[in-house]
Amino acid sequence: MNVTVALSFTLNGKPQELDVPPNMTLLTLLREEIGLTGTKRGCDVGECGACTVLLDGRAVNSCLVLAPQVAGREVVTVEGLAPLGTLRPLQEAFLDHGAVQCGFCTPGMLMSAKDLLDHTSEPSTKEIREAIAGNLCRCTGYQQIVEAIEDAARRKNTAR
Amino acid sequence: MDPDKQTIIGSPERRVDAWGKVTGTAKFAADYSLPHQLYGKVLRSKHPHARIVSINTGNAAKLRGVEAVLTAGDIPGSRKFGVVVKNQEILAGEKVRYLGDGVALVAARSAEIAEEALRLIDVVYEALPVVSDPEAAMWEGAPRIHPEGNVFVHHKVRKGDIEKGFAESDFVIQRRFRTQFIEHCAIETEAVLAEPAEHGGVKIVGSIQNLFSSRRSVAAALNLDLNQVQLIQATLGGSFGGKDEVMTSMCCRAALLARATGRPVKMVNTREESMLESYKRHPYAMYYRWGAKNDGTITAMEIRCIADGGAYASMSPFVTWRSVVQATGPYACENVRTDVYAVYTNNNYTGAMRGFGSPQVNFAIESMMDELAERAGMNPLEIRIRNCFRRGSVTATGQKLDHVVSLQEVLEKAAGEIGFEEKWKRYRAATEGTHRRGVGLACSYRGVSLGAEGADAAEAAVSVQTDGSVIVSSGITDMGQGAGTQMSQIVAGVFGIPLGRVRFLNTDTSRVADSGPTVASRGTITGGAAAKNAAEVVRATLLGVAGEMSGISPRDLEMAEGYVVRTADRSRLASFAEVAAECFEKGRPMHGIGWHRSPKTTWDEATGQGDAYFTFVYGANAAEVVVDTETGKVDVEDFVSVHDVGRAINRDAVRGQMIGGVAMGLGYGLLEEFVLEEGIPAQHNFDEYLIPTSMDVPPVKTVIVENEDPAGPFGAKSVGEPANEIAAPAIVNAIFNATGKRITELPADLERVRLGHALRRPGPRGSALKETEQSLPDLSCKIRPAER
Amino acid sequence: MKPFTYIAPGSVKEAVAALHENGGTARVLAGGTDLLLEWRRPGVRMPAVVVDISRIESLRRISLEGPDILLGPLATHGELMRSGVIRSGAAILASAASTIGSPQIRNRGTIGGNIMNGAPCADTVPPLIALGATVTLSSADGTRECHLSGFFNKPYATIATGEELLTQVRFPALLPGTKASFVKLARRNALSISRLSVAAVVSVDDSGLITDARIVPGAAHSVWKRTMEAENLLIGKAPSATLFAEAGRVVSAVVIKETGRRWSTEYKEPVIAALVRRTLEKCFTDNDGHPS
Repeated sequence: MNVTVALSFTLNGKPQELDVPPNMTLLTLLREEIGLTGTKRGCDVGECGACTVLLDGRAVNSCLVLAPQVAGREVVTVEGLAPLGTLRPLQEAFLDHGAVQCGFCTPGMLMSAKDLLDHTSEPSTKEIREAIAGNLCRCTGYQQIVEAIEDAARRKNTAR
Repeated sequence: MDPDKQTIIGSPERRVDAWGKVTGTAKFAADYSLPHQLYGKVLRSKHPHARIVSINTGNAAKLRGVEAVLTAGDIPGSRKFGVVVKNQEILAGEKVRYLGDGVALVAARSAEIAEEALRLIDVVYEALPVVSDPEAAMWEGAPRIHPEGNVFVHHKVRKGDIEKGFAESDFVIQRRFRTQFIEHCAIETEAVLAEPAEHGGVKIVGSIQNLFSSRRSVAAALNLDLNQVQLIQATLGGSFGGKDEVMTSMCCRAALLARATGRPVKMVNTREESMLESYKRHPYAMYYRWGAKNDGTITAMEIRCIADGGAYASMSPFVTWRSVVQATGPYACENVRTDVYAVYTNNNYTGAMRGFGSPQVNFAIESMMDELAERAGMNPLEIRIRNCFRRGSVTATGQKLDHVVSLQEVLEKAAGEIGFEEKWKRYRAATEGTHRRGVGLACSYRGVSLGAEGADAAEAAVSVQTDGSVIVSSGITDMGQGAGTQMSQIVAGVFGIPLGRVRFLNTDTSRVADSGPTVASRGTITGGAAAKNAAEVVRATLLGVAGEMSGISPRDLEMAEGYVVRTADRSRLASFAEVAAECFEKGRPMHGIGWHRSPKTTWDEATGQGDAYFTFVYGANAAEVVVDTETGKVDVEDFVSVHDVGRAINRDAVRGQMIGGVAMGLGYGLLEEFVLEEGIPAQHNFDEYLIPTSMDVPPVKTVIVENEDPAGPFGAKSVGEPANEIAAPAIVNAIFNATGKRITELPADLERVRLGHALRRPGPRGSALKETEQSLPDLSCKIRPAER
Repeated sequence: MKPFTYIAPGSVKEAVAALHENGGTARVLAGGTDLLLEWRRPGVRMPAVVVDISRIESLRRISLEGPDILLGPLATHGELMRSGVIRSGAAILASAASTIGSPQIRNRGTIGGNIMNGAPCADTVPPLIALGATVTLSSADGTRECHLSGFFNKPYATIATGEELLTQVRFPALLPGTKASFVKLARRNALSISRLSVAAVVSVDDSGLITDARIVPGAAHSVWKRTMEAENLLIGKAPSATLFAEAGRVVSAVVIKETGRRWSTEYKEPVIAALVRRTLEKCFTDNDGHPS
């Protein structure tokens, strides 16, 4: 039995090399080995979406990815959105629209929204709701989040 | 100065805690770790009701990596806790009363080792008969869960002469309603990190809603003084009433393990552990019997509710008290007889959840109101306006409403916004097609804050720094609802400074006074008032200093836009920061304590009469649904939420509470049900317990009505719970408008809407039918079965 | 999750060799959206060896080869939804894939995993059977191709041995005049497993008569099967509301006959009939078949 496997991947733009037990999930790797706790654990079964990260640019539940599966790939977490503290338009929009309440779903919500905005320049409201359908939020009723993402898309297009 | 004129009050300011939450830097309880920490896990019961014969922990203690294994006998102080009735145990000693009861604790070097150790603990049980139906639990001779018997609460309201009321009526409507167990579903599960503190105490950071009551239990369990137990609230990932007793037991357990090992102990519930152990919203069985005149006037209301309290008392006495006060709804009636019971069973215990005894009765009341409209030949808006309270009305408990009672206003706004009357008539006439539309209306009145439940006072502290920035702390906690932002905004308003200069500190029991629980939508009205008082203390000092600096009497000065200005000509005399620095130089106090105690309430337990709450809020919801009559699927396509909040301190936050409340109410109405079969939960995680997604909640139109109430800071009242308590009946009434069928049990899921009743597995357990079931292939698609 | 030996082969050859070496005790991991759930359950029997095929690029393809569409087992639900090949040649499959879980699940979950997991509610299987799909199994001994309709023994069990790897799914692209539709009933509008589903593929001739029909209910039987009794009823007839309603009743009767009357039959019986009728109606209104 291989107790650990060597893993190298890119995390928030920086190369990472470490040894991981193969039965560790990407979520546990991020939170407990690397210490990036922005990515949240809400259910561990791929339902709540609080653990959403981008894997090669696409939103995935990090609780359902084995750590060794990200070898050679690119992972972006919420900490990678504003590494120097300058918020992205998407984050600014969340602040301006009251899209944050308890904030536990927010990191995952932002990553799903980023996947959408990176692949769709003018998303419809329906597309936005579909894009965050895998992110459960118990506080907001989603509407202000949808409005924030709509606004972020506008801000992005204006800046372009 | 009239701080009310400050534009910051009522504006949609950015939340003070949002920056950390969009960058991933906000620290929630499970994000805290300490070097050399251990991981705590709980062994829970195997039976919903059993006597514990023996517990053998020997093998678990020998496992490599295990640092402590504890049972009830290892608790040095009080084993029991409970805010109202002290009958819940940190660890079960002699008896388990539901499946979530803890019987042993393990601290180990990893969570995996701790879990392995749990499997090595050998508990011998003697199974006892399981009581799962609260109405059966009331029978003479039902097995007793606690020695004092199963019926542990009986609240009454008696008004007028009920017999006379029915005698005067032209017709009587009688219905039975049932509601379900509801899980709070904060996306964050329970978590704490406890560490042994200097001087023999303990320090705990955690996802704790009511730190002061949890602290009392930790101190009692460990035989410590309150000042040796420090509880600090981490950024809280939602609570909705759900992080109270379950956190008290977790705090006690982690503290016991930290004491036993001398090391920090981290405990984090998995979602499965959380659903298994945590308390739920009470299911109610409700028997409503109303007498009315042909013109729609209600002459008598006879109401009997039985709440399933589950294994422990928890907040049931208070939850059911709110139900008894509000059971008639906001409708005038001279003759009322209401009885509300809470009963022990071997189900999950039930306690505080957003609404706190109102969502259940509102479902019944507002369904009855539509039934009444049918019988009286009126539409649902007319019948409500005919009967609803107005200023000067007297409630069922004999309280005269001496403030702006805006029921008619909120009802008409909700109805107008959705086009209620025209649609109601049109949809009612349409009886063709498989997809039918309907509109529904519901309204409520709600007592603000704790009412006659208990002492209602809170503290806030405001500390101005020498650079003019401000720190606010309070015993009222921010659980994500935005209490910290409201309090900060109120303080910024008093000082006339931007919100960005104010920082809110999470509650720390060693640094602020016991302010009671943050429940009952009292965050803004009580915490906000305390914050205002605290800021005004410091403001007076600062204005005094500014007066000395300028030679102008403080009476002629105000604070606005970051400056001290002369009231007469608005000329700026000094910046807020300059005055703060000068105040420090002069050695004056820049720290202020504010205390707010709510007005007195009264209650007579025997008659159920009294001024139950010092003020009330009013709201109305309107829903438009599409019902697939062939499958029973209901989609909510449009929704209007109208609430009189007194005064909105932060419009975005109020709107967020309103929409979020509707979403939770939609889940209550259509989707959610925590099912227990003979005390055994059928749902374990979010793949089985379904809450609404972004595709299920429609865009919600919000209308904020502001009739300022002198009882609240700047006229503000509350919105958190009202927002949640009438969405389900609005939806169910809309289903009736669409189909002509009345749903009397929640949730209105596929089966109930299609068939008119729920699908239930045939029982009892172990019957021949059950055997047949098990021999059939398992078609339920959840997680693949373990045995392959 | 208990420990295991992790192998991540770079080719099919290496993968089947690894499966062979471990004598069927290894489990194949692709997207992980089903397996990781299973493995975190307490008391689950964990495989000693996990063969992660997610790095085998050749298993990712979605392509058209002559009249057939070929799918590698690693094609994700998200890729199926977005694929031009699928949208024009088998839109019914894209529709079904789009109803699965959430965007995150669809970005990881694969068609191969959906098939091999064998859950009765797997949403891509009814359309694939209706499309006449075959699957290719590879092992150290060679390959074999089987019809998907005969691939499942019972829930969560297939005819594949522990040493076989699913390497390809093949089905003919829909021809002009072929209509297809997938309808799913779930409790909520996202993140939902099928309460019931129906896939139908219907061909009509120039005169408008039905020449071929395939109806596959999902989450209804213990293993998926076409409902020949209802299909035969349709063939040779002109589409009509009464015909589709009758077909619905026949499918419902067939399902109830197999599963027996149970506590849930009261609901399923009328609802299966309604969903089948709707699926057939949808073939002729909001068609997911050939675009012509």
